[in-house]
Amino acid sequence: MAQYYPGTTQVAQNRRNFTDPDYKLEKLREISDEGVVKILGHRAPGEEYKSVHPPLDEMDEPDDHIREIVEPIDGAKAGDRVRYIQFVDSMYFAPAQPYLRSRSYLNRYRGVDAGTLSGRQIIEARERDLERISKELLETEYFDPARTGIRGKSVHGHSLRLDENGVMFDMLRRQIFNKETGKVEMVKDQIGKELDEPVVLGEPLDEETLKSKTTIYRVDGEAYKDDKDAVEILHKIHVTRSEGGFCPE
Amino acid sequence: MDLQVFPHRILGSDRTEMLLNEIEALDGVKRTVIQGPRLPPEDPNENPKYAERRVINVHGKEIDLKVKTGRIFIDVSTDFDIVEVKDSIDEICKELLPFGFDIDVGKFIRTQRTVTDNIKYGNESVPDELIGMTDQSAKLEDRVTILKKNN
Repeated sequence: MAQYYPGTTQVAQNRRNFTDPDYKLEKLREISDEGVVKILGHRAPGEEYKSVHPPLDEMDEPDDHIREIVEPIDGAKAGDRVRYIQFVDSMYFAPAQPYLRSRSYLNRYRGVDAGTLSGRQIIEARERDLERISKELLETEYFDPARTGIRGKSVHGHSLRLDENGVMFDMLRRQIFNKETGKVEMVKDQIGKELDEPVVLGEPLDEETLKSKTTIYRVDGEAYKDDKDAVEILHKIHVTRSEGGFCPE
Repeated sequence: MDLQVFPHRILGSDRTEMLLNEIEALDGVKRTVIQGPRLPPEDPNENPKYAERRVINVHGKEIDLKVKTGRIFIDVSTDFDIVEVKDSIDEICKELLPFGFDIDVGKFIRTQRTVTDNIKYGNESVPDELIGMTDQSAKLEDRVTILKKNN
């Protein structure tokens, strides 16, 4: 059995759930395909995917064993462009966080490239595959409309205090809480270009649900030092790594 | 001595208005400074339902709110017991800030003129009450509102 993450706390269990490709993530909201395309901002809804010209079939490609062994993903087969979606996760009990996103993306999806930074996480894939993946990421537990930001640029804000309605700071004000409906609306695409019609992302999860779904250890939630099992494994890795690295002759 | 209220979340204009009205009603409060990130500038193309910038009303005086409240500094008059004022503010905050807050006693508003103040105002005598009420790059009349109290 694959061992994804040590620990006995709920946070550790959530980390295992995300990383395990056999675990079915709970679907929390519905976002239309058109909405996803609008948020990404790579093409207009209904527009055809831009791909290589001449088409791949007409191209004379060199012989390659790997090409014969590996079945290409749909986008690669069609010669699509590589596009991206980037998420920012607030430190205040966001459901996912960058390192976990990378681990789980690479376990769950084929043909993707994941890039991790301290406050943001980017995933790159062929355009049509990216849209399919983005829809899944936005509709499931990976995402909370208030604590997770979809930000292609100007990502600053993951460690700042939240607004009083629980929404993470965003200098471009892409995701805005609508007081009348109680839902968060995306009024700009991920790089901050104004949308004609806002895309409704749904209600933010309440504090209790977020605390039960989060993958972030926090002193005011579940502290890392209280997860004996996880600390022990970390300690073991640290010691073996130090001893193994010391005087290798 | 001053008090600092540090809410665990950044406050919007409605809650700031309620909080300032309550705090200003207390007897010992002499001066109040709100500090935080700037509100986005007015944008004529912005949908009014998303607008955050608005004029708030504190004890009948209209104040054009420029920032989202991140901290509140309160200068307490020396005639009053700071612990009592702190307790009253604590009560107000418990009601209005359900997500949590910290209150500290200390010195948060400066009382001495700085070099920048000297350059800005020259030899003009600026009343002590106005020292430290705004940052050096802003105009005093843009940022300071004087409320008249009954007593």
